[in-house]
Amino acid sequence: MNIEETVQGLQQELRRGTLILLVLGQLRQKTYGYSLVKKLNDSEIPMDPNTLYPLLRRLEGQGLLASEWDTGESKPRKYYKITEQGMEVLEKTRIYWKNFSEKVDELLEEAYE
Amino acid sequence: MNDLIERYIYAVTRRLPKKQREDVSQELRGLIEDMLAERCQGRIPQEKDIRVVLTELGSPQELYAKYDENSEKCLIGPPYYAPYTFVMKIALIGTAAGLTIANLILGVMEPQANVFETLLSWLSMMWNGLLSAFAIVTLLFAFFYRKEIKLGTPFNFDDLPPVPKKQEEISKWECIAGIVFNIFFAVLFLAVPQLIFVFLGESGKRIPIFDVEAIRDTWYIIVIFAVCGITREIIALMEGRYNKKVFLTDIVTDGISAVLSIWWLTGFRLMNPEFTDSIAQIFQGDRELVVQIFSHFQSFFLVCILFALTLDLVTSAVRTLKK
Repeated sequence: MNIEETVQGLQQELRRGTLILLVLGQLRQKTYGYSLVKKLNDSEIPMDPNTLYPLLRRLEGQGLLASEWDTGESKPRKYYKITEQGMEVLEKTRIYWKNFSEKVDELLEEAYE
Repeated sequence: MNDLIERYIYAVTRRLPKKQREDVSQELRGLIEDMLAERCQGRIPQEKDIRVVLTELGSPQELYAKYDENSEKCLIGPPYYAPYTFVMKIALIGTAAGLTIANLILGVMEPQANVFETLLSWLSMMWNGLLSAFAIVTLLFAFFYRKEIKLGTPFNFDDLPPVPKKQEEISKWECIAGIVFNIFFAVLFLAVPQLIFVFLGESGKRIPIFDVEAIRDTWYIIVIFAVCGITREIIALMEGRYNKKVFLTDIVTDGISAVLSIWWLTGFRLMNPEFTDSIAQIFQGDRELVVQIFSHFQSFFLVCILFALTLDLVTSAVRTLKK
């Protein structure tokens, strides 16, 4: 068994759902893909654009995001914003995450004491 | 220089649904420009910069897979994939073995002057046979898989069946034997019906009982017959025990088989005229009963098949109800 590979796999699984939560949270304000990439990068939660872009599209397909093209600027950009349905999902998941991560932390701390 | 970007975008989007293609292309173009601008900070991007940025985005196949909503869909997936490959192996080996044995017997019986010709006819039979077996097994499983997905019955603890007792279990070997039997039946009638023959009196001349051409003209009935048999075995194999589903499948497939065999043996003239004409000569000295049987061979054959089907159904019913 390769320790590094196992760790990477686990990290990826942990990130998967969390990133969706983050993306939904960030899109309470209308944003385009690349600025979100940079924002997440600056917050030291890097997300590859090749993951984020298809994800945005999938979330839009699920009705959690809405998009519109802004052709006013020098180059056309597609802006995404959370929908009402998305807000509801975000709210519920956010509370779940808060509880869940607190409990996980608690138990882990306890185990390390 | 921009040609590389366009080629990349085309490679990513070309297999996406048409109405997404333009949108995704536009968005990717914007993304790549943004990434280039970020990297170059005001200077004009060089070919090398483009390559670095595209490498960061990953291979077009990978990116396409992330955009593709159907990437998880398949023709035959779990839990059907494992039995599919299993049955496929049996079907292909069974067909190859059946055809080889049939051709060996044929080769001994009617040695062709030209060995090359014998070999060629064997090869062409193998090609047709294996291809048909592959197609039939694949279609059957694709059908089961789709149906399973659509049904998706809700789970209920009370529906969990008890652990089967030994006598309720259907052994794998029983199913394999059943599949091989059905394949051999199909091979015999589709490829080499002339192997069912009788000797004509002292002369030792071989007379096929069936009219080879007439049998081959009804190929579709034989194929459906075999498909019914194989379906029965696949369901038994998947369930692994006698239960309502296996029994219902038996009723349906045996029913179809019965109707087909009645149609086949009463609706078509399948006997070799040379055979029917010389029955008296062939069986001279034999008992009256034998002559009677062969004079009405189609009816006799039909009764045999119907008897076998009934037996199968009764066995299945008894083993289903005995709990």
